[in-house]
Amino acid sequence: MEDSSKFERYVYKNASVYHYMKISLVLEKENRNISDAQFKQLIISGVKDLYGEIGASFPFDLLKFDPKELTGILRVYNSGLVKLWSALTLLGSYQNEACAFRVTQVSPFLLALSGNSRELQFGDRAQVALRR
Amino acid sequence: MSPELEKCPRNLLVCEKSNFLNEKSRHDIHVSKHSFNYKTSVLIPECGILPANISSAFSSFSPYYLVRDLPVYELLEETFLESLVKKGHFYALSYNTKIDEDNSIALLSSGQFILSLNKDTYEQLGLEGRPSQYNHRKALRFVVTLDLTDKSLAPGTKRYQRVLSSLKDRLPLKYDFLFTKYNTGSDEDEVLHALLSRYTYKEHKPVFSQHILKNIQCPTLYPSDIQGKTLSCDPHRFLEWLGAVNLDINCENAADSFLSTYVCPEPQSSISQAVVCSVTGFISPENVFVLLQELRKYFDEPKFTPWLSLTVHGFMDSPVSWGTSEHGFLKGGENFYNFVCFKNQDYWLHMATGAQDACPP
Repeated sequence: MEDSSKFERYVYKNASVYHYMKISLVLEKENRNISDAQFKQLIISGVKDLYGEIGASFPFDLLKFDPKELTGILRVYNSGLVKLWSALTLLGSYQNEACAFRVTQVSPFLLALSGNSRELQFGDRAQVALRR
Repeated sequence: MSPELEKCPRNLLVCEKSNFLNEKSRHDIHVSKHSFNYKTSVLIPECGILPANISSAFSSFSPYYLVRDLPVYELLEETFLESLVKKGHFYALSYNTKIDEDNSIALLSSGQFILSLNKDTYEQLGLEGRPSQYNHRKALRFVVTLDLTDKSLAPGTKRYQRVLSSLKDRLPLKYDFLFTKYNTGSDEDEVLHALLSRYTYKEHKPVFSQHILKNIQCPTLYPSDIQGKTLSCDPHRFLEWLGAVNLDINCENAADSFLSTYVCPEPQSSISQAVVCSVTGFISPENVFVLLQELRKYFDEPKFTPWLSLTVHGFMDSPVSWGTSEHGFLKGGENFYNFVCFKNQDYWLHMATGAQDACPP
């Protein structure tokens, strides 16, 4: 028999196992076709370059990829966040072409990535909209 | 590898379970205290068409205004103060001001006027405040909180004159503002329009969007097991799944897939369809409360699904999250809450914040 009217409250501190990152890739030449696998491989190579084979041996997921906008959502274990983020920051080239990763949003909650108030832009006098 | 590299900013998740019909339930207080809401989204499993009452609750969300280059002192002008500010149900937040870089101004419905200022602005303005709770080593951010309903700040008093002259003459601050109000009378509306007409402004209606998901896996939730020990899935996994559904992320990946190994959390069940709809803009807590009341009525008739969910996202750059608790942006400014409403009027309330936030109430 469920005791349905009982009040319960739990506070979880740092209980989120993963962090989630919304990122976008900016290339010098805008019209490149990059597949989701190539995108992920590029990030892996960046992490390996910075931290070596052992340092790069943490998994991360490319949860979503938009090939038109070159944006993606990554999921990484907390212990790998700093390494992944630093590798993205320092990644400078893709197939001998200059590129840069922009980290749009980072959160321990994936749900927070669906409601970023910094995306609230208005038509007139809008800044260059941050790409999803 | 240094252990420092493996550290992450602190995050908090509060999970509360109660029943809407319980007298002591604080769901109304939690909703009303979360003043600045950017996005409200609803997920109803086993539903193909949004019910009429919920649809109309969405369409009845109040419009909001974007005012450009509004001098901050205008919010303290006597007529404005007496009509809109003191009567309540009026909210203002500076727009496009980043809480970790710029000055940010907020006016709550309770009459609390909050200025989150960087050091230079604070020193030049000369108003009494306190250092931010989230300063690192040096005090680089200060928060000035003024209770505009307090007698000592009534128009005509010395303190009021001092505050007004600081904002008008000593350091005239001007920002773009978002305004919204709820069910104010015609007098208040007149005063608001008198103010708006002196500046560049535009009225906006919150933007509604909806999509239907087909043949998906959905977590199983039982009201008695909020911690996700046996019957329900873990709260963090549930919120992750909600995020996945809202962001259109594939939840059926193989465990050895190169790209993603994300799957719907266990326990789960298959559902044929679900409706996900959302509204974005500058949304008042009163609108959210009306929506919540309508969502509770969904179970007045028998339905296939035992639960539905309502998520409300706060503004990343608001100086406060719940009530007047200071909010900051370290690597993220998340402050959202999520209701799971069950058939028997039980509910779960998840409240999540990031590093620079007090524990949700």
